[in-house]
Parts: sequence; structure tokens; C-alpha cells
Amino acid sequence: MERKVIHSDRLGEDMIRIHHDSGLTMLLCPMQGFSTAYAAFTANVGSVDTAFKTQYDDDFVEVPEGIAHFLEHKMFEKPEGDAFALYAKTGASANAYTSFDKTCYLFACTDQFEESLKILLDVARRPYFTKESVAKEQGIIGQEIQMYDDSADWRVLFNLLGALYHNHPVRIDIAGTVESIAQIDHELLYRCHRTFYNLNNMVLCVAGNFTEEMVLRAVDQVIKPDEKPIEVTHKITEEPAGICKPLVEQKLVVATPLFNLGYKGVSTGPAGNMKNQILDEILCEIVAGEASPLYRKMYDEGIINVTFGTEVMAGRDYMCTIFSGESREPERVAAEIRAEVERLGREGLDREFFELCRRATYGRYIGMYSRIESVAGLMSAAYFAGVEDIYSILDFVADVTLEQMQQRLKIALDNDKSALSIIRPQETGDEA
Amino acid sequence: MSSPFRREPIGDGVFFSWITDPKFKHNRITASLLLPLEREQVTNRAVVPFILRKGCADYPDFTELNRKLCALYGASLACDVSKFGAYQALELSVYSVDDRFTLDNAHLVEESARLLAQVLLRPKLVDGRFSEQDVLLERQQLIDAIESQINDKRLYAMSKCKAAMCAGEKIAVEKYGYIEDAQEITPQSAYDAYCNALDRAQIEIAFVGAGEAGIAKEIFQNVFAGVQRHPVLTAPYHGRTAAEKVQETVEELDVTQSKLVMGFRTGEIKDRHAMMAMRMMVALFGGTPNSRLFLYVREKMSLCYYCASRFDRLTGLMFVDSGVKRENKQKAYDEILHQLDLLRRGEFEESEITATKLLLQTSLKAVGDSLGALDEWYLSQTVGGSCISPEEESALLEEITKDDIIKAANQVTLDTVYFLTGKEAQ
Repeated sequence: MERKVIHSDRLGEDMIRIHHDSGLTMLLCPMQGFSTAYAAFTANVGSVDTAFKTQYDDDFVEVPEGIAHFLEHKMFEKPEGDAFALYAKTGASANAYTSFDKTCYLFACTDQFEESLKILLDVARRPYFTKESVAKEQGIIGQEIQMYDDSADWRVLFNLLGALYHNHPVRIDIAGTVESIAQIDHELLYRCHRTFYNLNNMVLCVAGNFTEEMVLRAVDQVIKPDEKPIEVTHKITEEPAGICKPLVEQKLVVATPLFNLGYKGVSTGPAGNMKNQILDEILCEIVAGEASPLYRKMYDEGIINVTFGTEVMAGRDYMCTIFSGESREPERVAAEIRAEVERLGREGLDREFFELCRRATYGRYIGMYSRIESVAGLMSAAYFAGVEDIYSILDFVADVTLEQMQQRLKIALDNDKSALSIIRPQETGDEA
Repeated sequence: MSSPFRREPIGDGVFFSWITDPKFKHNRITASLLLPLEREQVTNRAVVPFILRKGCADYPDFTELNRKLCALYGASLACDVSKFGAYQALELSVYSVDDRFTLDNAHLVEESARLLAQVLLRPKLVDGRFSEQDVLLERQQLIDAIESQINDKRLYAMSKCKAAMCAGEKIAVEKYGYIEDAQEITPQSAYDAYCNALDRAQIEIAFVGAGEAGIAKEIFQNVFAGVQRHPVLTAPYHGRTAAEKVQETVEELDVTQSKLVMGFRTGEIKDRHAMMAMRMMVALFGGTPNSRLFLYVREKMSLCYYCASRFDRLTGLMFVDSGVKRENKQKAYDEILHQLDLLRRGEFEESEITATKLLLQTSLKAVGDSLGALDEWYLSQTVGGSCISPEEESALLEEITKDDIIKAANQVTLDTVYFLTGKEAQ
């Protein structure tokens, strides 16, 4: 077993990184004074993993869209019943979610931490799928998909990703479609589980009220080494640098149009993307934050409202920047943002305002280290990005330079690689 | 320094409360103006926090105010309107990093408290009232906020059910008000609403975080010193406790998934023990992943992704909601009532009680780990006329027995069924 303590002078805090003999990596951050412990057991698999192979396969296997999310749902079913029934005995509040490139099983508890942790480790590692249970889940997830079909926030984002990306699977819905999940069967689920839920491909992160000894006892008891270690190769999709189409529109029952203006970024791999995400967040603050001239102009013209915001989405091999909100004139908002990006490129960024935005971002990043859920989330994101020291992120923010920002402006916000997605209101009598 | 919850009057109808713990890295100061929900006043009042957020005497320019917040290490100055039982709460809050984590030993507690006090009490005025440009913009924003409630179909369906169920009752008044009234808002009417709110509201200033609450207290004590006010203090709400007959509403919209919402009244709740029993019953019925509605309507019958019940202790209302296929509405409806009936007859296990109790206790103990949750907990306690800590409530839950839960289930009556569905058969 390898054990390393990582310390932050700025925060006066420590976290522990342990590589267990079983092959499992653990990142632990006990936090004094908190009542809750939060544990997240995460696999490096998400909706983008639609084609993959291991060192034992000759060819890539293609799987139906939405299978990672389906697998997440099915892991809660065990021969002895539902996993929630196991947690019911400890009082832990358990859940799971699937994102583009991660699947995370988690719980929060205030008592019986060790018992809950044993359940968590077991839930994600012991598959049990039957024909009947797969059929039942198709009904439940079918309703989840239909719920998202009515969600304007969700549709505007996925329509945008479809416009930005030609082939990259980030453009597909995380839950798949009613048709794609109909192709899932228990054998395929077993294969995905064997491949992705290998200890090499997972990490356990815990933050809050617990001790290292408790974790080690539970892991020693529950985690058995894999029969054979697996190395996953994710199929690389050929993705052109440019966007697929500049504009995509849909009608739904909404009051005011919703928009997402997205900029397709350049992926430099997991670690590069994580750092660039931070830089691009500062950049968004400079371009369109509440203190920016652009925000003021659009707000005063009444073309944006309080729902306006920005987001940088970064993953294993994709990244993009999104400006979103509600507006009666979404095309005008897009034109204003593009004009400002062009102006800043031409005139350069203002040093004083950059300093202010960096300071604001620094303050906000402190927040990532203060809530137990976000500490656990940050530890697992950093782990999969290959960033060993989570506290280095704070130093990175403190040391950002104006020159770095100027460079990011050129790469991350290229008007030629931007697309606009709009959801318009469905009027009565409309024939959509 | 660590301090348990304390609350003291610092002015006429003005209260300062604080709870601190060094485990936090931030401080949050909230000013809540609590006002009775009044159909005539509610809309002009709702626009007030948004206008105040636009600027104050020292920072009359919106952009300058926001640059100041950047300089305070990205402090956020938030405003919104909430509803607590029969009260509208106009809320302004500032959330900032604790002084310990600044790079230059800044005094953020003091600066944040001063800024909040100024935004609340020294707004930017033009000719003795709000600026016309701000009012026009914020009036439109308010209309947008009211109209956009339809964007989230689950929340929309829930609010339509509640509105139908409580028509004519105070608690039915919408927190953001009404479009037809919003269109009539003028710089003068909004300013009058502001002055009236400052005069009549019960004002709660709450400090939660890691820093020195005393500095903030002193600042607010000073600004309210000698101010003559006519506050209307909050009192617990007592509405209709039982339904006479079931009313049904169907609304058609162009949606893929239908939404079923059922509103119940929970009878007369005499004391804390009865309140806890009701809370347990609602959680056991449909509030957790081990609850009846999750296990039967979702897992066994595969009818939906969500089917949940929730209880609002300030109004005594219980709602059940589920997203289902149109043709499965009756099946879901029947099963929901069937499960309630089983609880009424006592056909549930001791293990379900234990599971529900443990999960509720976990969430109660977790309140103390979150600034936002602490803030909301104590404000809700204040409006409800009590002041117990999450730990005390957790202890009260211990005493709830199976008979208490059966009794609670038998007190519940179905009042309104609302169904939002697609325009034609799916």
C-alpha cells in the first residue's frame, strides 16, 4: 500500500492519497467540525463511451446510446433486493449519476459511515442483471427520457452540442433514446460492467466526518482485486475542428425563447482541459460577467435577464464554452457577444479588470474546498485528469497572467467555431 | 469562534440572529423582510429586491457595484422573493469568503455587512424615488420571471395544483405577484412599496458562517437605531384543515410527459409531536427511495421516473406528484391512494419506520454543514413560531410510534387533483 499526504499552506488542510494493494486508489479528506461524511465511488465511463475495447478484444465493440446511464440504474438491483433497502439500515442518503464521461455512486451520512461505505463499494462492484429487471428499467428510464424531452434547459443544450459536434458522442443524450435503450440486454450490461468497473478505472473519494482507518477497514473487507486487470481503449471519433451547423432551433412550451451560444474549443487531453477550464472561466467573467461592459449593455437594452450565465464544459477529449439565458432577441444577444469577442481580440484585455476577475475567481474557488460534496467532486475530477495535488488548482488561479488570458481568448472563443441554439415558444395553433 | 443559534431584537421589529462555526470558509448575511401575502401589495413588493440590487448610494452605478463585489473576492450579492407559509419574504444576501482566506488580510465581514446594509437602506434614488430606467427594466424582468414558471413543467404543475386548491386563501397569493399588476408598476409605486415594506415588515438579519458576527450586528444595530417603525409581526398560519370534496382539473399543453399532482390537507396538527408524526408519515409514504411511492409506483409498476410526496409544515399541505404517460394516469392515481390506504390501516412494517427515521435524522444533522440550509432552517422556524434546532427535532422524531403514523395518515384528506397532459393521445 502506498500512502501520501498532500498539504495546502494556503488553506492549512491536508488530504491523503492511498494506492491500495487491490489496485484501488483512494483520495481522503477528513474535515474537522462537519457532521456529514460524503463518499463518491466513480468509474471513468459515461455517455460518450459508445465504442471501446480492452487488451483482450480484437475489435471495438459498439454499444447502444445511453448504456452507461442504464448500467448505473441497474447496479442498484441485487439478488436480495434493492440497494436502497441496504442503505435504509444505516440512514445514509444514497444516489448515483451519469455524466458525459463519469459514472458516480455516492452517499452522505452522519452515522454508521463504515457500514454505508461497505454498501457503496459492494453496490458498484457486484452486478446482477436479469431479462426481467432490464425490461422493467426500460419503462422507468423511458419516463426519465420523456421528462427531459419536455425540459427546455436540457433540449437547448443538447441541440447546441449537436450543432457544435459532427461525430463526437458528446452530442448524444446522456440517457439515450427510447429506441436505443430498447436494444440493451443483460449480457451487454455485464460486458460493460466487466470493462469499466475495473479497479484501474475507478477512484474512491471521501470528504468530511470520517477517519482513514474506517475507510481502510471497509476497503480491506469488501474490495477484492480484479481477476484480471483491464486497460480500456476508448474509440477516438474523427471530429473536424469546425462546427456542424451554425444555428439550430426547436419549439417547446416556454414563455420566452431560451438560447445557448456555444464555442467549440480545442481539447488538449484531460489534464490540459481541466486547467484550461479554469482559465476559460476567468475569460467568461471578463467577457460577459456581471461587472463587464457587455453584460451592462445587454442588460440595459433589455435583451438579457437574470438567467444569463456562462459555463465552460470540459471532459476527457472535448471542451466548449457556453453563454446561455432567456431572451426575446436571441440572435441579437449572439451578435453582441460575437462583436465583443472580436473587439477584445482586436484591442486586447484590460489589465485592471483582469486583476479584478482573477480575484473574484480565486474567492469562488475557495468555495470548492469548503463543502464536502465539492471537495469529493474536485478530488475525483482531478484524479481522472491526472492532477495529483488538488490544492495546486488554487495556486494556479492565483498565478494566472494576462498573457495567458489573451492566448485563451484566441483559442477558446473563436467566432468561426460558434453555434447558436434557440428554443422558441410554441404558440397556440402553431403547427410545429 | 463557535456559537450556537442566537436571536436578539436590534430595533423595532428588527431581529439579528447568528450561528458561527470555524469549519466554514465563508460568511453569509441575509436580510429578509417578512410581509403578509396580500394580493394588492404583493407585485409592487416583489420588484423591490431586484431594484435594490441595481445600485445604492455609494455605488449608484450597476457596473461599479458589481466591480466592488469582484474586489471583495467574488462576493455574491443575491436578491429574490420567497414564500414562507402566509408570508412573502423579500430577500437580499451577501455571501463572501472569510477574512482568513484573503490574499491581503481584507476585512470582508465588515465590508460585506456595510454593503448589505446600504443596499437595503440607502438605495439609489432619483428625485426622491427609484430611477425610471431601473424600474422599467426590473418590471419587465419580473414579468419574465412570472411567465417563465411554465418552463419547468414539474414546478408549474405543482404550483397550478396549489393555486386551484387554495383559491381564496392567503397562501395562494403568488410570491412574484401577477402580470396585470406588474404592468402597472411605476417608479413611484415601487418606491412606495419599498417604504411601506421597510415600515411594516418583520426584518430578520441572519449571519451564518465562520467570521465575527458581532461586527455585522453592530453595523445593523446602528442603522436601525432610533428608526420608528410599524411592524406587523409574523404569526403561525391556520388554514382549512380538511377537504370537503375532491376537485379535479385537467390542463392540456403541448408536452410529451403528463404530470399528475394531488393536493391533500393534513388535518389539525396540535403540537410538535403531531407535527413530527405527520412529517414521518409523509416521508414514509413518498419522501425517500425506500418509501411506498418509490417502491411501488416506480420500482414495482415501472410507471414513472419520479413519484414523491412532500409536506409543507407552514401551511399544513401535502402534495404528491409524478410524471407519467397519459394512459397510465389512472393506474398511478389508484396506486397512490391505495398505498395511503395501507398506511391508514397500519399495514406497514416497523423496519420502514426505522429506515424513514434514520434518513430524516441524517438530513437534519446535515443542516449544520451548510450555510444556506442553516439560514433557511431558522427563518422557517421563526415564521412557524418556534425555535428548535435540527438536533432537537431529530430527538423528537425518536418518539414517533407506528400508532402516531397511522393517526397522521388518517388525518389526511384529498382536496385537489391536477393533471397536465398533451393535447392528443400519446
